[in-house]
Amino acid sequence: MSADHSRDPCPVVILSDFGGAFAMGVIGGCVWHGIKGFRNSPMGERHVGALSAIKARAPVVGGNFGVWGGLFSTFDCAVKAVRKREDPWNAIIAGLFTGGSLAIRGGWRHTRNSAIMCGCLLGVMEGVGLMFQRYAAWQAKPMAPPLPEPQQPPALQA
Amino acid sequence: MSWLFGGKSTNQEEQKATQTDDAQLRQKLGFDPSQVSNVSDVIAAPGALDVSRLHPLAGLERGVEYLDLEEEQLSTLEGGNSLIPSRGWTDDLCYGTGAVYLVGLGLGGSYGFLEGLRNIPANSPGKLQLNTVLNHITRRGPFLGNNAGVLTLTYNLINSSIDYFRGKHDPAGSVAAGALTGALFKSSKGLKPMGYASGMMAGAAAAWCGFKSLVL
Repeated sequence: MSADHSRDPCPVVILSDFGGAFAMGVIGGCVWHGIKGFRNSPMGERHVGALSAIKARAPVVGGNFGVWGGLFSTFDCAVKAVRKREDPWNAIIAGLFTGGSLAIRGGWRHTRNSAIMCGCLLGVMEGVGLMFQRYAAWQAKPMAPPLPEPQQPPALQA
Repeated sequence: MSWLFGGKSTNQEEQKATQTDDAQLRQKLGFDPSQVSNVSDVIAAPGALDVSRLHPLAGLERGVEYLDLEEEQLSTLEGGNSLIPSRGWTDDLCYGTGAVYLVGLGLGGSYGFLEGLRNIPANSPGKLQLNTVLNHITRRGPFLGNNAGVLTLTYNLINSSIDYFRGKHDPAGSVAAGALTGALFKSSKGLKPMGYASGMMAGAAAAWCGFKSLVL
């Protein structure tokens, strides 16, 4: 797999992933809980309800996203450092660890199920990513330019 | 034709003899006219499609230009250099938010850890002790981390917008962004809390600018 030049090298990318996932969660949480608070408020208080729902819940969504993304990135870097290769298995193993460590307070069964779920999810995501990559490569495959016909031109023959 | 006459063959020697005769003409045309039998020979001849000769002004000899990735380049904003190299506002946003969020999480978590150690019920089994401490950590850490992260996120968004509109970065813009962030954060609580939060965030932004100017 070719190097991804839009991402930074490993130890510092964890910070960036924490921040990026947190920002994504906060902005998505604003939209989600804004709509939810608006719909669940009585008439006349809908804007206040949306605002208070955003204030109460969007940072929590952001925090959950951020912790998930940061942990995943940390485990991804650790797995890369141990295995010394880059392939979809990195993400799947990191997903296993992430799901497991986030559910570790729920007992052994919960940890195991959550880890397997998370690994499967990451596996599906990696699979879809690979499919898109192959499709893009197939779409942008190098085309040979049309070569001139190797015939005798009549002007030189004469 | 070097791929054809690459080796040391008799054919090459013979070719050289004929080539010296009309070197003048070859120099002028870019290919050997005695070898020409069809168009693809002309195209395949070495030097015939020399890009610097083909069109000197087009800059064809610079190579393939789509390898100059736009997003690889560092930000060239005046006064915008920070502790780590940045490629633009998304890098500032991600790194700033991530760092402050982690610091808030760590500080809140340590405070919760100490609080949990103090609040362990007497004569409790080990599992309950662990649970008490973990509950306190997870109550304090994410609260502080989330609030600090949201503040930094807003600050970075406003700061990058101000930099974008002004075309440069300086402490005044940072402090203004901090003041706006604090005001926005407490905007539903009334004017007085807004003023306090605004002043505190402006102070924090100024402190950050001072720290950067000390370190850089």
